[in-house]
Amino acid sequence: MVDTVGNRAAGAATGQRRATGRIRPGRAPGPGAAGAFIRRHRLAPYLLVLPALAAIALALIWPTLQIGLYSMQNFGEAQIVGTLPAKWVGFSNFTTTLSDPEFWLSLRITVIFAAVLVSLTMIVGTLVGLLLNRLGRRMAAFVSGAALCAWATPYVSASVIFVWFFSPDGGIVNWALQGLPHWLGGGPQWAQYNWETVGALPAYTVATVLVVWQSFPFIAVTVLAGLKSIPVELYESARVDGAGPWQSFRRITYPMLKPIFLILVLLSVIWDFNVFTQTYVITGALGNRDEYNLALYSYSQAFQLPPAVGLGSAIALILTVILLIITIGYVRANIKQGMVA
Amino acid sequence: MNNVFAQFRKQYPAYAKTKINVVWIPWANRTTDWQKALASGKNPPDITELGNTDTPTEASLGMLANIADNVNAWSSKSDLVGGMLANDTQGSSIYAVPWFGGVRGIWYRKNQFQAAGISSPPASWAQLVTDAKKLMKKYPGSYGLGAPSNYDYALGSFIWGAGGQIAVQQGGKWVGKLTTPQAEAGIKFYVDLTKTEHVSPTKYIGQTELGNPGATSGGSNEDFALGRLGMYIDGPWAQAEFPANAVDKSGWASFPVPSESGPNPAPAFAGGSDLGIFATSKYKTADWDLIKLMDSETNSTSFANLQGFFPPYTSKLTGGAYSSSQLMSGFAKAAANTEISPFNAKNWTVVDTTDQILPTMTKALEQGANFDATVSKANTEMTNVLNTGKES
Repeated sequence: MVDTVGNRAAGAATGQRRATGRIRPGRAPGPGAAGAFIRRHRLAPYLLVLPALAAIALALIWPTLQIGLYSMQNFGEAQIVGTLPAKWVGFSNFTTTLSDPEFWLSLRITVIFAAVLVSLTMIVGTLVGLLLNRLGRRMAAFVSGAALCAWATPYVSASVIFVWFFSPDGGIVNWALQGLPHWLGGGPQWAQYNWETVGALPAYTVATVLVVWQSFPFIAVTVLAGLKSIPVELYESARVDGAGPWQSFRRITYPMLKPIFLILVLLSVIWDFNVFTQTYVITGALGNRDEYNLALYSYSQAFQLPPAVGLGSAIALILTVILLIITIGYVRANIKQGMVA
Repeated sequence: MNNVFAQFRKQYPAYAKTKINVVWIPWANRTTDWQKALASGKNPPDITELGNTDTPTEASLGMLANIADNVNAWSSKSDLVGGMLANDTQGSSIYAVPWFGGVRGIWYRKNQFQAAGISSPPASWAQLVTDAKKLMKKYPGSYGLGAPSNYDYALGSFIWGAGGQIAVQQGGKWVGKLTTPQAEAGIKFYVDLTKTEHVSPTKYIGQTELGNPGATSGGSNEDFALGRLGMYIDGPWAQAEFPANAVDKSGWASFPVPSESGPNPAPAFAGGSDLGIFATSKYKTADWDLIKLMDSETNSTSFANLQGFFPPYTSKLTGGAYSSSQLMSGFAKAAANTEISPFNAKNWTVVDTTDQILPTMTKALEQGANFDATVSKANTEMTNVLNTGKES
């Protein structure tokens, strides 16, 4: 009681603690009546989060609500410009999408593409992370510098360069494949082979190489950070017991890094489901419908003439729901195994 | 354009102080650019050039102003090519005026034909294939005739040239005609150029005439300019897209696409551009005065000639000014026989740009899909989209 009066009487500036040597938890600083209100209802944490929350609400929550709204309307060019009002159509955008064979084709391509990408990225990234852990300082700096250059390259520039690599007219890949001996699969059938437009498999092979090359540095650096936290004595005692490298990975590294792997796989799945830039440039800017993934399909429905923003919003929502199901399922499976603290 | 603006200010002293801002945008982005410019509300555009296939769609979306009164009072109206103006008309409303037109033919090199022993351009499909093979034999490593799969307008000429149709309107509803024997003959011929006759390379599968979709140069356009392709289907404006190191320019010539059992030469798609006024424009009188000047007989002819197009005036086309040019005479002959339906249908942009029904069909056929099943599926999809805007 006395202390309360004493604190207020001090009329201290906000945030100043009395030098009483006693720490009073739960006492948020604040002058006068507002401060008392904040303190009584323990609002301080929420107030501190408010600016960040406002920014996120503006940039993320409000557009999400709008997309939900548009997906229930037929929102086309006339509505964008304002010459016609929007019409409420309920779930018809969703039924149109789910009955479109192109949607199922692009969903299939997206799932296979993401599965291959996530596996390859995690394997390559983990291997490079393990390598970086073992290298000396200068070599590690060189390798990680080179890897980070791959990560830092703008997506469009990298995609255009890869298109040139695989171009049928004078691309370096076709030239190299032609020179390979026949028993390795080389030969003249590679002359003028058009990787980008012939079909989904060649085009997505190019896209896989590109995206793995651009994504593995993030995995490598994160795995490296995790590895640094594992005590070296564990590995030494394993070596004394006669464990080989694969066994020490399986028994020591993998269990200790499980939380990190969980997060990395989640992030990779989300990113790889949404790959747009690279696939757009490689498949020829929406010109080849049999090579669409879900992001391209959504963009083509929403923004190509005539624009159907309502339909595009419905597709985006469906994609979000698919991703939520996958990520929730994966996290739950890992929690059940007791691996996430 | 600056010349026209100077004329504009002289002829209409009232506009002496008006600022005219011309913005050049890439053709492939035009529809999204229109949306963005109109939606932004800030200084939106007043006049625009549109592809003549864009006009019916944009008009039905309510984007263009009805200028029927202006056009009917215009002195040049009677000389405009009837079919071109009809494209911009819906009932008694007129939404744009034609600015210039273009048709596609087949580019070739006269000297190459002579060297390969071809005395005159082919006039039938069989001759077209034989000549292509002769060229490939004379110039090993080159291709005979470019037939990219993502090229509706070329496919159309072969369908029409066989006496078939892509789709027709019967009693107010669209009916797809791809499964008729004539249309199937045209499709089969085009597909076989790549699949069985091998006069067109497999790398053009999935490409447009300019290369990978979205590219502004490359593909068969580049191959022809560099001498790697003997015959190239496109219009005279393709010249602007040739690379700077094009070879053998003096040999350039053209001939119309040959037909088989249909009208001769095969009907070519009547492409071109119109000039329209946006419905949201605040200066419609000034807009129309400027359009009248830009589209006058003199100005539109000089602008068209600059780019390799034809002006929209019947007197100019039939006057014979183009028949003496080695390059333009073939295109001028093709311009005498044009078709536009169903490319100007209200929902054709959904068929073509969004759903890409014909390019997907051609691509699947060139890669060996079952002919009847693929064509029939495409025909059903196309009919549904033309009628309802949706695939099913």
